[in-house]
Amino acid sequence: MKSFILFVLLTAMALPAHAASQAEAEAALAGASQAEASATPGNRWVPAEAALNAAKAAIASKDWDRAVTQATKARSLALRSVEQSKEQETAWHDAVIR
Amino acid sequence: MTIRRAACWVAVAVAACLLGGAAPSPAASPAADQKAFQDYFTGRFPDVPFSDFANGPYAVNAPMRKQWEDIMQFPPYDFALDEGKTAFDTAFANGKSYADCFSNRGLGVRQTFPYFDTKSGEVVTLDLAINRCRTANGEKPLPYQTGMMASITAYMAETSRDKPFDIKIPDDPRARSAYEDGQKFFYSRRGQLNFSCASCHAGAAGQRMRGDILAPALGILAAFPIYRSDWGSMGTIDRRFTTCSLQMRAAPLPPQDVAYRNLEYFLSYMSNGVPISGPGTRP
Repeated sequence: MKSFILFVLLTAMALPAHAASQAEAEAALAGASQAEASATPGNRWVPAEAALNAAKAAIASKDWDRAVTQATKARSLALRSVEQSKEQETAWHDAVIR
Repeated sequence: MTIRRAACWVAVAVAACLLGGAAPSPAASPAADQKAFQDYFTGRFPDVPFSDFANGPYAVNAPMRKQWEDIMQFPPYDFALDEGKTAFDTAFANGKSYADCFSNRGLGVRQTFPYFDTKSGEVVTLDLAINRCRTANGEKPLPYQTGMMASITAYMAETSRDKPFDIKIPDDPRARSAYEDGQKFFYSRRGQLNFSCASCHAGAAGQRMRGDILAPALGILAAFPIYRSDWGSMGTIDRRFTTCSLQMRAAPLPPQDVAYRNLEYFLSYMSNGVPISGPGTRP
């Protein structure tokens, strides 16, 4: 039984991870670009822009895996920046010195 | 009885909404905001004379002030001051000069910038006015963050030393809107670190952020342009806004963006009465 579990684990580790395709990379980049565009200037985050640029560079060098990773990160950060700016539309009132 | 009590609570809730439950007004009035703002800082730092808020972190931290006084034996902005005066006095190719573009020939006017131009409906900073002067006279605009722009504004600021900030908000809804936009920018959190300008320069003013002492927002622009040791060169207000944004991991706006000009308008109006101390030095 132990050797069977060991066999399964070793086999699973030996299997190649799913490699991203060009289509997946481009779709991820499109999603990230759209998310970044929805953040207004002045509310964008530096790391979101950096990840987006890294995704574009990865696509240019045909590194689809890296492109997907970076685009996913860029999208996530961009969406959080949009969330922040929406929240601040009213939240800033509470910070005013009165 | 229960229904009657519930009805009472509903009535109370409705009354509360009608009286004050709507979206809070961001500004009672600029004058009231200014008074509250100045009272806040003078209350936080009761031993600091009002005029000393022009000196930023050196006003609120004695060891840093001692270092600054030593530095000021040979002010690092002196070269920029000389360069700025030369440029200011040099005629453009068409024979005119900067002096022709400003009231009082550009001398002793820094404390009135930025102002709201009711003709164009926008905030005009000193830096913007300098570049508009250049382009109106056939010259190329200067880059906004450092170099000659910093030198010329250094010279112009030096001619305004000890003159208190005198920023007006004309009776024009566009001016009020520009002021409120600047106020909103100052208090809104942005960037991955979720900081606002106020996080550092109001709530944490006088405290340390790593090796820096955070300057109080009151009078924070009075010393610009500045020689910043961290930069190793002169920098304008645009340069500082840009680096502040980057420190919060917020993507900076282009220099002289409307949002930055409105922020400068708000901060300068809040500092009315604080004397111009520029050009200055900062760590």
